[in-house]
Amino acid sequence: MPGRAEFLKSIRHRTQAGRYKPTNAPDVAWTREGESRESEPIEDPPARFIEELEALGGHGKRVGDREEVREYVLALARDRGAKLLLRWDVDELEELAVDAPLGENGVEVAVWRDLADFREIAGKADIGLSTAEWAIAETGTLVLEGGPGKGRTVTLLPPTYLAVVPVDRILRTVPEAIDKYAGGGAEELPANVCFHTGPSRSGDIEMSLFVGMHGPGDVHVVLVG
Amino acid sequence: MPCYVDQINPEVGVSVVRVLRKLGVEVIYPESQTCCGQPAFNSGFFDEARAVGRHFLDVFEGERFDYIVCPSGSCTTMVSHYYPFIFKDLPEERERSEALAERVREFSDFLINVMGVRALGARLEGRAVFHCGCHQRRELGVLEEPGGLLANVEGLVLVDWENEELCCGFGGTFAVKMPDVSTAMADEKIKALEKSGADTLISGDSSCLMHLEGRLRRTGHDTRVLHLAQVLDANDGKAG
Amino acid sequence: METEKPARKRETEDYRREGLSSGVEGFNDRARRAVADEQLHDSIELFTHKSVAGRNAVLGALPEAPELRERAYRIKQETMANLDRYLEQMADAVEARGGNVFFAGDGEDVVRYIGDLARRKGAKVITKSKSMATEEIELNRRLEEDYTGLEIVETDLGEWIAQLAGDTPSHIVGPILHMNRKRITEVLSQTAGEELPPDVEALGSFARRRLREKFLTAEIGITGANFGVAETGTVATVTNEGNARLVTSVPPVHVVVMGIEKLIPRFTDLSVFVRLLARSGTGQKITVYTNFIMGPRAAGELDGAEEFHLILMDNGRSKLLGTEFEEALYCIRCGACLNVCPVYRQTGGHAYGSTYSGPIGAVITPLLKGHEEAKDLPHASSLCGACWEACPVGIPLHELLLKLRNQQVEEGLAERAQEIAFKGFESTMKRPILYNITTKAGRLAQKPLLRDGSVRPLPGPLSAWTDSRDLPPLAEKPFRELWKEGI
Repeated sequence: MPGRAEFLKSIRHRTQAGRYKPTNAPDVAWTREGESRESEPIEDPPARFIEELEALGGHGKRVGDREEVREYVLALARDRGAKLLLRWDVDELEELAVDAPLGENGVEVAVWRDLADFREIAGKADIGLSTAEWAIAETGTLVLEGGPGKGRTVTLLPPTYLAVVPVDRILRTVPEAIDKYAGGGAEELPANVCFHTGPSRSGDIEMSLFVGMHGPGDVHVVLVG
Repeated sequence: MPCYVDQINPEVGVSVVRVLRKLGVEVIYPESQTCCGQPAFNSGFFDEARAVGRHFLDVFEGERFDYIVCPSGSCTTMVSHYYPFIFKDLPEERERSEALAERVREFSDFLINVMGVRALGARLEGRAVFHCGCHQRRELGVLEEPGGLLANVEGLVLVDWENEELCCGFGGTFAVKMPDVSTAMADEKIKALEKSGADTLISGDSSCLMHLEGRLRRTGHDTRVLHLAQVLDANDGKAG
Repeated sequence: METEKPARKRETEDYRREGLSSGVEGFNDRARRAVADEQLHDSIELFTHKSVAGRNAVLGALPEAPELRERAYRIKQETMANLDRYLEQMADAVEARGGNVFFAGDGEDVVRYIGDLARRKGAKVITKSKSMATEEIELNRRLEEDYTGLEIVETDLGEWIAQLAGDTPSHIVGPILHMNRKRITEVLSQTAGEELPPDVEALGSFARRRLREKFLTAEIGITGANFGVAETGTVATVTNEGNARLVTSVPPVHVVVMGIEKLIPRFTDLSVFVRLLARSGTGQKITVYTNFIMGPRAAGELDGAEEFHLILMDNGRSKLLGTEFEEALYCIRCGACLNVCPVYRQTGGHAYGSTYSGPIGAVITPLLKGHEEAKDLPHASSLCGACWEACPVGIPLHELLLKLRNQQVEEGLAERAQEIAFKGFESTMKRPILYNITTKAGRLAQKPLLRDGSVRPLPGPLSAWTDSRDLPPLAEKPFRELWKEGI
């Protein structure tokens, strides 16, 4: 087994800067026929986000205030016959104050805090509830950061997943979202950033779509504001 | 003139000459030309390809001309794209091949883009599909030109066919090195041909045609198989 | 096989058949079987057609696509030119965040490292998300053989089914595209210990339940890496199922096996590749899960790995750096070249007999494993160039195949018969007089071989053609003679 120095040394003497020019590859399916146009600017990011998410089989809705968000959560829990909802331990969800109403409707609420064995509770939960750092309009993507209180498996193990996102956190494009994390030092980054787009799926069995392969198949995003 | 046109399908060459002369082009055929060397090149025998390439350069540099016209996408590509490639490390030959490369044009490319001509007064009855050879499509980018010329052939209906961008399966030595796959690829094209209802197969590459016609005949099809030049040379419904 | 014929005639036939006897036995046999398999062909056609249609639509709608391809090539070129520096930067970044870095020269090193780690941890179950690099070194088999009591579970649905069936993947993106529903039902029913109905819902649900058990009990999770970012020590994985995210979030230990060529310099470079990978590979704008791991979990996190190990694997890649084959390292494993390849379309992945199939496989296998092991592969192509056209990084795969063929010739690996044939070809084509004599002789020689205007099917060198296709004869008068006579 080579040590690090040996390994790198054996590579160092092989590299040569910029020796080759690309052979210009042909253009079919790479250039739009007819007039070349600028990227269409996204006029209404929240609407576009919902459009993209729903095209993938997710559910998106824009609401005005917290009360409407609570209504959505309660309706969803009722619809899915949920018994246990697991949510992130973050201020926005504390302030949402949906725990009590859920409790009154027979839904137990677990918070991602001081869990002895997260696997048990995340594995049992019917619904996972989180916020998102950002959302991306052009693809219907949620940008989820890991961190204290923000369990990754909350968004992954329960079959139904709901994210609540303020409208002013919606970015237009993927490059914009990536650049939120670029340029700074590595130390400033969270340990995990996930771009999550719609329901989990697999097409491995004769190309037939199976929804909810390992992650949630029932994905909801409520945009607030 | 591609070696296989010279030896196997000379009627294609005859049509080429007739069409060019009809447009008032003076045609010179240097008789000491033989082959572009692509068969050796494709099999990895670059030294042998270089030797044949040198002969090609010698033959054609000795002539005075504006353009070299070649009725084959693959031969044109060999000269214009791959001569500089194989002579990359030999500056003198590389320069010579780069200079020559600028004046080598595939037949339909020459007619439309150099002569500015689309209609040749040709007439041929039939329902046809056009197969664009892979080199012509991807290295030369000469995609629209054959269609443009065929559209002006009276009596000829050009139809689309499925999977038109798929390789016919000839690939030079590939056809005999991997005969099962090569034949299966031809069958795929023939399936699309049948589906299109065409009675005629046209291409700018005789090598593709030799392969496809070989399989068509063996499988009992009587599809008419013609090179683009023969169609453009056609009068009174008879191909050149 | 070669009958006794006068030298001139043999040269003609040599010229016509351009060196016949095939040194590509392995591929040919497998290909012959594959070509006859109609069901396989239908599956491949369906898969590739859908993938290509999706890809064309989604790339055609992205105005900056050609520019992205150019940038992707430049980024990879820059990376390879300074690979040692970027590897060091990546290692430093990972270690700064509390991760462990291991430099593995080859597959053996990787197996040892992971096996010993598993022993130290007393691990029994390892969950794994899809990684071509680990397939390449046969990690699962070697771990299970050398470290008894260790169970490695593939978690990508297709890879898991292949694992259960004792089979191997046949496509980078759709690993079991060669398996039909009946076979899949058989395999899963056997695992379930009961007859499962052959419908996707039932089969998928069973898989979800069974794999969920594994996800939640595994002590170690292994992933590959789609990209590694040197600047920040980030590992990016891309899936639709969510299995990579589960593999990296639940077990306390996460191991990444990453080929050194997967590196890119800066986090912002991800925006080029993230935009290209899904579009090119599956026709999606982005996959469901595009996950970035920066090392072990942060303080205060309850899930995510506590221990992070990044294995940077060479296994033959570094010897391509700075050579004319370096571009083969730019591959991002999207699978687009497989989808457009007319040869792959007829044979499927298994015919290639190697971890990597299709055009990229034909190029990278002889480069990583040596020509002896993969002699047939550079010839498994008609050089149509569709792969080059489809490649989102612009790798000229068809040119690399030609160079590989040339390399075989230079190293004396070409067949004798071909060498002779092309020496003959060269002599004939250099001298017009010889060309004329040879072709004239051929005209005479072919007369007894003709029937109904084409060459009769005969055993011998020409049979590879004449077995399935008619062969036209040399024309009565060649063009040059007609020209002399006046046109």
